Amino acid sequence: MKWGISIGVSTLFLLMACVSARGQETHATIIYDDHATEISSANVDRGQLWITTVDLKRATGFALKPQGICRDELCFPLPKFRKQEFVRQSSGKTWFSLMTFARLVHQPVAHDEALATWYFGLRSDQRQGLSSLEAPDFTLPDMNGKIHSLSDFRGKKVLLITWASW
Amino acid sequence: MPGWQAIYQQLKDKNLEIVAVAQDTNGIKDAGPWITAANPTFTALIDERHLVSKLYNMVNVPTGVWIDEQGKIVRPNEVAFVDDRFKNFSGLDSAPYLNALRDWIEKGDKSVYRMSEERLREKLAVNDPDVILAAAEFALGEHVYKSGHLREAIPHFKEAQRLNPKSWNYKRQAYALSDAKRDYGTTFVDEVEKAGGSKVYYPPPDLTPGAATKDKQPQE
Repeated sequence: MKWGISIGVSTLFLLMACVSARGQETHATIIYDDHATEISSANVDRGQLWITTVDLKRATGFALKPQGICRDELCFPLPKFRKQEFVRQSSGKTWFSLMTFARLVHQPVAHDEALATWYFGLRSDQRQGLSSLEAPDFTLPDMNGKIHSLSDFRGKKVLLITWASW
Repeated sequence: MPGWQAIYQQLKDKNLEIVAVAQDTNGIKDAGPWITAANPTFTALIDERHLVSKLYNMVNVPTGVWIDEQGKIVRPNEVAFVDDRFKNFSGLDSAPYLNALRDWIEKGDKSVYRMSEERLREKLAVNDPDVILAAAEFALGEHVYKSGHLREAIPHFKEAQRLNPKSWNYKRQAYALSDAKRDYGTTFVDEVEKAGGSKVYYPPPDLTPGAATKDKQPQE
């Protein structure tokens, strides 16, 4: 009986491996935190986008750690019983599912199929700023390329105005 | 731009900074001539990615936000006319807004135009997943456009417009990058008319003294 189950489980794993291997190896452009990174071997599999943990670090700055997906102080634990939806091993590499992660952190994703480009928007932790009523900070250039941040003006009242040429 | 310079001259010695941010996908190429012509001494920034609109959930220009010395939002996201150049179109007189601004600069927290926290939260909250996704579609459209694929950008701009129909920025910026009639089957003027005219396009700010400081009355 025990054998039966373990054979069953291994068959299942084998099957899953076969299915995953069917995912398409492709070039991808990933835009994360408004920064574009070219990925030479991404794996697109039934709407999922898998990249190696090396590319994950390169494209997003996040790394897979025992406590979860982390970047500096920021850490998102992966749900214990759904780990295989996020991480898998294949051809000697560790792959990570960026779309599943986006769902976990309530991050909008826009996709252009023809250009193999994925845009990852603001995660929910990045959208919390407004509920604190603190003015979200930003850093932008002026005409001469000099960089300014809103927070440079702390201590003054600020009238922030957006406008456009159009 | 020229109007703000005049206001800045009057108010800069009262510890006010104006930060004017151009929401222009083509950056200096499109916004630059306006800035050069106005020659501002306040802070004029270029925002190719419409980052400020995204962070503050703004849907139109000009949009003004008052921020106090501690970096807290005092009054967010309302039409900010500082002169009457667009009065014929908008029907909005700039005087009430400017009076309110001057009042806040003089009185700070005690100004009758400071918005209560409850109202601020209500005005700033975005919980609609469509609106959140719209920002990503628009940003993808911008990226695709900038990488030289205007035609491929159009479906993403259209999707952003569909997901967040309240955003005029998504419409007008996209129209400005191509031929609106050909690529979107409409024009800015037609869209304003369809929405219900300039009163909808530029909703008049509620500048009744004290109106913003009160929390909303519970519904009976």
